[in-house]
Amino acid sequence: MTASILDGIVLGLQFGLLATGLTLMYGLGGILNLAYGQMAVISAIVTVSIMDAGLPVVPAAAIGIAVGALLGFVLDQTVFRPLYSLRDEARVLLSLLLSLGVALMIDGFLNWLFPLKGLSLFIGGGAIDVFGEPMRRGSLLASGITIVAMGGLVAFFRFTTLGRAVRSVIEDEEGARLVGIDPRKMLRLILVLSGGIAGLVALTRSMVAPVDVTAGFGITVFALIVTVVGGLGSITGALAAGIILGVINAIAASAIGTFMSLVILLVAAAVTILVRPAGLLGVKE
Amino acid sequence: MLDVRGLSAGYEGGDVVHDVDLRVDEGEAVMVIGSNGAGKTTLFRAIVGLRPASAGQVHFAGDDITGSPAQEVVRLGLSFVPAERHLFPRMTVHENLALGAYPSRPDPDTLTMVFDLFPRLAERRRQLAGTMSGGEQQMLAIGRALMAKPRLLVLDEPTTGLAPKLAAEAYEALNTLRGRGLTVLVAEQQVPLAMALCDRGYVLEGGAITKEGTSAELADDPEVRRAYLGVT
Repeated sequence: MTASILDGIVLGLQFGLLATGLTLMYGLGGILNLAYGQMAVISAIVTVSIMDAGLPVVPAAAIGIAVGALLGFVLDQTVFRPLYSLRDEARVLLSLLLSLGVALMIDGFLNWLFPLKGLSLFIGGGAIDVFGEPMRRGSLLASGITIVAMGGLVAFFRFTTLGRAVRSVIEDEEGARLVGIDPRKMLRLILVLSGGIAGLVALTRSMVAPVDVTAGFGITVFALIVTVVGGLGSITGALAAGIILGVINAIAASAIGTFMSLVILLVAAAVTILVRPAGLLGVKE
Repeated sequence: MLDVRGLSAGYEGGDVVHDVDLRVDEGEAVMVIGSNGAGKTTLFRAIVGLRPASAGQVHFAGDDITGSPAQEVVRLGLSFVPAERHLFPRMTVHENLALGAYPSRPDPDTLTMVFDLFPRLAERRRQLAGTMSGGEQQMLAIGRALMAKPRLLVLDEPTTGLAPKLAAEAYEALNTLRGRGLTVLVAEQQVPLAMALCDRGYVLEGGAITKEGTSAELADDPEVRRAYLGVT
């Protein structure tokens, strides 16, 4: 049991960090980005390609994350452009369609160009005992990096002027404009940031299990479930929901089997919507 | 300081405000009075850049701001306090005020000035804006607008939803600001309060200016007395 819970926390931390990107894009700009998982996969494939070319892992990973962020910028400037003249539901729906198209296209290209590539940042060395359970070094390092990144994100949104400006757009877009904040610029910043987050999560995932070219949609589905449970637009909600669902997932996988764990997560999400339509910490309209 | 010429604005269905001329000189306090639905809010939203104008021009402090979005207009020194306030409900009083100074860090002197003007905000600086009463939220909305150090403060019905005592308090604060040389443009349905504050005023009816004059002139006008001052 302890082992499952610890595994669940490792996974859940990453879910939580992943979902912050999705929840911010939705909360800030009404964009439901179904190509989110593919952004993560591209970061992973870029990283492994650079490592294959002979560069060490740290610079390769940095470039991988930067490419994820760049992809967010490119999406903002190209495919997502038509969205900005739309409002409310029309924008959400078109964002679903456009990003689904992007996701399918990226999947197609990756399968065609790199059918066998996958990133696996295996960390050697023996296991380390945590609460009496042996934990792999990769899991611990992945969790450590994720916690630091979460802390950085929370601090950014709480204490910096720019971070507060981003939150203000989620809280009240018109109020934000009245104090001189341009919502379009904040959304662009969030698309770039979430691209970087997707890249970072792909790298930490690959320390626990390989991330291959087909992983995109799975990542998006996990992030969506966590986002819905945490509450659309809530950063702390996403982080909390990630950890809770990670533990549920791990216990379900060990008690019943991996084949059922995704179903159980979906049930958990459905129950959350029934009980608290706005999610754990979502904004009530 | 503010010069509005031939301004028309509205929604997809057609213009709500027609061919409005309006002027506010430096140091003046000017009111726009009119009943519910006369177009005061649409007019102000078009002036401050929250809504496009379909015709006419808006000049502020020498700049043509016609069509400039609100986020740019505020940086030129024109701050707008909407009737619905549009605060950031899940942020603290202090965070709301700090964002008022965006993109700069909040100026300590301005912050002290706002807290002197509204001592209740100082007591509640750690409270979430969404949990405050209507009167406190109105103080916060005005305080947030002041953090940008505006040269012109534009307020749309600052007494909306306020009990008479709080409405009077809000106008007391505006009076204090006037005394320090701030230029003010205010739309108001509670005409006596606005008349006591302002030098001049315009009457907006059916989306057009039907009268203008000094507060004293308007107070003596029989139609204004009947329609807005409750004198029969």
